[in-house]
Amino acid sequence: MHTSSKLTKEFTKKWLKGLQICCSSKKDMDVLERKKKIKLCADIALASAKNATTSWSIALISEAKKNDENEILVDNLLGPESRFKQQNIIRQMNSCHKRVRSKKILKKSCSISQRMKKMGPPKSNLAAYIAKRLVKKRTQVLQRLVPGGESMDEFSLIKEALDYILSLRVQVDVMRNLANATEVLNQSNSSNVFD
Amino acid sequence: MNKGEELGMETFQFGEEIQSLMAVVQPPEAGNSFTALLELPANQAVKLLHSHEETAPNNLPSSVFPSAENSLETTTSSVVPNSSPNNINLVKQEPIDSDSMHNSSPNPSDPVVSKSTKRKERETNVKSSAKKIKSVTNDDGEELPYVHVRARRGQATDSHSLAERARREKINARMKLLQELVPGCNKISGTAMVLDEIINHVQSLQRQVEFLSMRLAAVHPNIDINLDNIFSAEVIILQSFYLLMCNFTCYAIIHKFLSVSTFIKTYH
Repeated sequence: MHTSSKLTKEFTKKWLKGLQICCSSKKDMDVLERKKKIKLCADIALASAKNATTSWSIALISEAKKNDENEILVDNLLGPESRFKQQNIIRQMNSCHKRVRSKKILKKSCSISQRMKKMGPPKSNLAAYIAKRLVKKRTQVLQRLVPGGESMDEFSLIKEALDYILSLRVQVDVMRNLANATEVLNQSNSSNVFD
Repeated sequence: MNKGEELGMETFQFGEEIQSLMAVVQPPEAGNSFTALLELPANQAVKLLHSHEETAPNNLPSSVFPSAENSLETTTSSVVPNSSPNNINLVKQEPIDSDSMHNSSPNPSDPVVSKSTKRKERETNVKSSAKKIKSVTNDDGEELPYVHVRARRGQATDSHSLAERARREKINARMKLLQELVPGCNKISGTAMVLDEIINHVQSLQRQVEFLSMRLAAVHPNIDINLDNIFSAEVIILQSFYLLMCNFTCYAIIHKFLSVSTFIKTYH
């Protein structure tokens, strides 16, 4: 799994760098703020470690950039040579949002017109129809979960979900290891103090 | 979390869901409505289907094997699915994705190859086999996988259903990869259940990230996690050894020590 260990290293480096940038700006944050910053840094680091190869990472970065106060953090974190800074990618995301909105309007009008029709039940293919409906509902939920999933068709959604799951696993592993490590060290420090 | 609860309730109420679906009287939705909503793939598929006079691709991968049956009822058509940037990523990223997976095939045509060999064993010479070849051509530096689909006996052969079937086969191949990735999905059959598991997995991973960031925030008073102080090697070894001596029956500590060492390994 050499690709995932490479991803791990990239992610860890960028995450810690981002945390240092965060810490330099403000002092004395409470727990919730710290948690938000940590999570934000982790997400941005994960997305930038992918270096614009997947569309969920692009979506994540563009979402983070919408918030003005994250702008500096994101720009510093991405680095000068990163492909995220290309303007056409950002423009593509903006056009995707328009497409998503028009698709949503179309979907709503279609479903309303179908409910208005209420035709006689064609029982011949009922099982297949139900199966399709179930799958459709679940793909909708998956679209909401994967960042940037609204503007993807079924096929690329599955591919992005694959990649997203792998990267999330890396993120969880690194964070868990760091959390365990600091807890161990704090415990040993405190027990050393008492001796 | 409302959506998560919603879905959780839905999965446990499959029966009621199915009943409600049967109660709602609607015409069966063909794949056409789905493709109508997503204009792009359908437009491209139809447009490319009309340009049927394109020449066959030159390079075929070595995994293509000749079909044993040549029934008179087969028709072929070449379909170029979806948009090309997606497929470029598809072709290039397949090996990267499958590196981390144990049983998955490194080649998109391999599951198809194994599928076809099984089918060959099963079928007699009377029936015709449905076979798929994925090939990559280099037209001016672009990669466009061509999908040749043969119609099975007794199935519709118009271009729409062929494209539909090609699309479905692709999606099924992808779903198999996903099944191998998500633990516990191998025994489940049926797309809806597998998607359920995948959704649960993604949700649990996201929740774990939230939880872990909360833990980290609680442990670190300032989020400037200075690793150089923490991870000097002698300090680690001494401290963890001390802990182990005190708590040698405590498996949690041992586990945490292991995580510390893995973290150092990956970070340096």
